[in-house]
Amino acid sequence: MLDRGPIHRRTFLEAFGLAAAGLARSPAAPAGSMVIDCHAHLTHRSRASWQEDDRKLIEAADKLGIDQLCCSLLTPRRPATAEGFRECNQWVAEAMRRFPGRVLGYCYVNPGYGREALAEIRRCVEERGFAGVKLYNEYRITEPVVWPIIELTIELRVPILHHAGHAHSFVEGQPHISDGGHLSEVARRYPEAMLICGHVCGGGDWEWTIKALRNAPTVCLDTSGSVIDEGVIEMAARVLGADRLVFGCDMSMTAGVGKLRAASLSAADKQKILGGNMQRLLARRGTK
Amino acid sequence: MIDVNAYLGHFAFRQLRHNTAAGLLRLMDSRRIERAVVSSASAITYRNAQSGNEEVAAEVKAQSDRLLAFAVISPFYAGWQDDLKACHEEFGMKGLRLYPRWHNYRLSDPACLELVNAAAERKMVVSIPIRVEDRRQRSWLVDVPDVELEEIAGLVKACPRAQFILVNGTGFVGSALGRKQSGLPANYFIEISRLAAVLANEIGQLVTNLGAERVVFGTGMPFNYPDPAVLKLEVLEASEDVKDAIRRRNAAKLLGLSPR
Repeated sequence: MLDRGPIHRRTFLEAFGLAAAGLARSPAAPAGSMVIDCHAHLTHRSRASWQEDDRKLIEAADKLGIDQLCCSLLTPRRPATAEGFRECNQWVAEAMRRFPGRVLGYCYVNPGYGREALAEIRRCVEERGFAGVKLYNEYRITEPVVWPIIELTIELRVPILHHAGHAHSFVEGQPHISDGGHLSEVARRYPEAMLICGHVCGGGDWEWTIKALRNAPTVCLDTSGSVIDEGVIEMAARVLGADRLVFGCDMSMTAGVGKLRAASLSAADKQKILGGNMQRLLARRGTK
Repeated sequence: MIDVNAYLGHFAFRQLRHNTAAGLLRLMDSRRIERAVVSSASAITYRNAQSGNEEVAAEVKAQSDRLLAFAVISPFYAGWQDDLKACHEEFGMKGLRLYPRWHNYRLSDPACLELVNAAAERKMVVSIPIRVEDRRQRSWLVDVPDVELEEIAGLVKACPRAQFILVNGTGFVGSALGRKQSGLPANYFIEISRLAAVLANEIGQLVTNLGAERVVFGTGMPFNYPDPAVLKLEVLEASEDVKDAIRRRNAAKLLGLSPR
């Protein structure tokens, strides 16, 4: 007999020790117990299986007890053209309608397109209800071409999820990749910005990244990535504080959930990381 | 559960916790892992790996029913034959782990074939970690690529009497190792710590294409958190019988362990 049942929400939360803390509720639970994957991707439509791939992502989220996925869609070839990122964002908007309440959208742009990038962000956030902005590696976040985008996200009160990584050797194909040090530098210039440093567990030396972010209290760290090194979550919580960590998978689904489940943290801290902190960031959009 | 992918000792480039026998057993108990195959993490970078084997042998001595020690041996280090004999006969080790990239040789080298065949003579299992850690986070001192699956396919074919466990790998579905009809002998087992159980679902594909009897549970602890591997089997769409085979039965049979 096949054991096809998904992990029920209670089982999922129990595994995190959250049930005992009174946080095991149905998916319709009040604010505070949501599980939000801050770093997910939809599939580009140049891939014939895109519909099935997107459906599998939702199914995986169901199995793993993830309520919402913050998704971007990147062009297969980068640097992205304006036409390319607009097309991607259109498809994200459609996915938000296909999976209402499950898919939240990040607007992906190439900052090099200046006014077109800014107009696209404004359109996606104000007209389409996107939750934030995704920046990749076309430019380092410290480069002036990126600053108008940061300033616009401050105005719109939305976060930027920034691709990041720090290796001790040249990263082939990513000459302009940002790291935790770059995000820290920008956070000093723009303390009002909501910056999320992407995939600490897929961005090279995670100990370096955590230490580089120590003195940038406004930068959050996304736990996603395929690396499941024992101790990474505990070190991040110890150095940065649980309030600055946001749960993510970046499509490494069991790695993302498993390392949070494993981490020696209090149930309250895990709940913050799994969704509370991201909810706090997303809630700023509605405040003045 | 039987974990075929665990370690004791220190790693040169990152602090490991839970890396003593007592610490690892506490971690295993907390995850209901009954037994684990362990080898020396230190021996990966020791020039004389036998020192690491001796450390592990001493560490597991009182716990040999739960911690099954494997040796780390390089076929290019002087006296490996003596080390293999000592690890097998004195320390009671049931297998060995090979690090061809870290120890700078190819699996096709005649010396390696000699070592694997000598292990097979002794009915010792040969474990090959495809990687130790993610290459993106490597130290500035070393650049150690993953072991190529094609190279492993060549070895399992060249040594049909040996038994292999391939750990810390991925991408098997696209290689000859992931297919039953590839012409390779059925002398290798694939461990799940880096395989997906959702989305691409490589574990499910291997169960279909290679057979559930060829897939084994492993975590990579204490390098890794154990929970992702445990979670994979929880969400895998497969019968309880298949999951039980992966969790413990296949490894128990391979390692000659009696059911507990």
